[in-house]
Amino acid sequence: MMWKDKYKIGIERIDEQHKELFSRVSDFIKSIRSSKNWEGDMDKVKEIMEFMKEYVDIHFSDEEAYQEKINYPEIENHKQEHIKFKEIINKYLKIFEEEGFTEEKVQEFGGKLMTWLIMHVCKTDQKIGEYVKNEGGKV
Amino acid sequence: MKAEYVNSFYKATKDVFNLMMDLDPQIGELKALESMKSDKETNILLGVIGDLKGEILFSFPLDMTLEMIKIMSGMEMDKIDSFASSALGEIANIIGGNATTNLTEHNYTCDILPPKVFIGKYKGSSTNNKVLQIPLMTSIGEFDINVFLTENK
Repeated sequence: MMWKDKYKIGIERIDEQHKELFSRVSDFIKSIRSSKNWEGDMDKVKEIMEFMKEYVDIHFSDEEAYQEKINYPEIENHKQEHIKFKEIINKYLKIFEEEGFTEEKVQEFGGKLMTWLIMHVCKTDQKIGEYVKNEGGKV
Repeated sequence: MKAEYVNSFYKATKDVFNLMMDLDPQIGELKALESMKSDKETNILLGVIGDLKGEILFSFPLDMTLEMIKIMSGMEMDKIDSFASSALGEIANIIGGNATTNLTEHNYTCDILPPKVFIGKYKGSSTNNKVLQIPLMTSIGEFDINVFLTENK
């Protein structure tokens, strides 16, 4: 399991979404790492990819709406990171569309997804929690 | 080579290892090398362009590499495949990005090129100036950052 309590930022709604995201990414990685029959497991890979694409959109929008609500000063930088990540997802979706869900490319996507998610939540998202704390937790 | 270059990469590496893997790398004795090379089994090369030009090579022993991926994924790994390579490349990419941000504080504007992951010993071409090797000790092993940067202003 990838989730660690230190990833919490102290804002319940965002923490719950992060847990869900980590849980799904964890399942995705587990399934691509343990697949003995790549072609046969393709439906599961496709299903998780579809979920990831939708859930990332929902989560990013929610997180950005919250940042607007609290007048978070670093919202623009944060949005840029979200945009860059969506570009990565779209890049791989295009690769999968053109080349198929090859094991090599799906594994490559998994490694990138895991690393990006941990770093983003550990560093960039933590700053939202720190801001709220510094504002006295009122927002 | 100026201390600002080295410190920017060292600090970025330390931060990323701390945040992502709960590891606290401790710096060892710096060495000057004649060329960009490493006997360690996993090597990630980052090109640097802009006000500074050159290369950064992160070199890890195989066991340590597998342990790093295990810490992040919570899963056992027994080989460096495209999942692990991609994760390692992304770690180097994040470190490089953070290091270039640190360098802007010293008035250097740089960019990094996409990382290249090499499995096995690395032997690059020899350089006109020395390569600085920064050994870093952690609880799961010892790795190096090899820095070769020249001013391009």
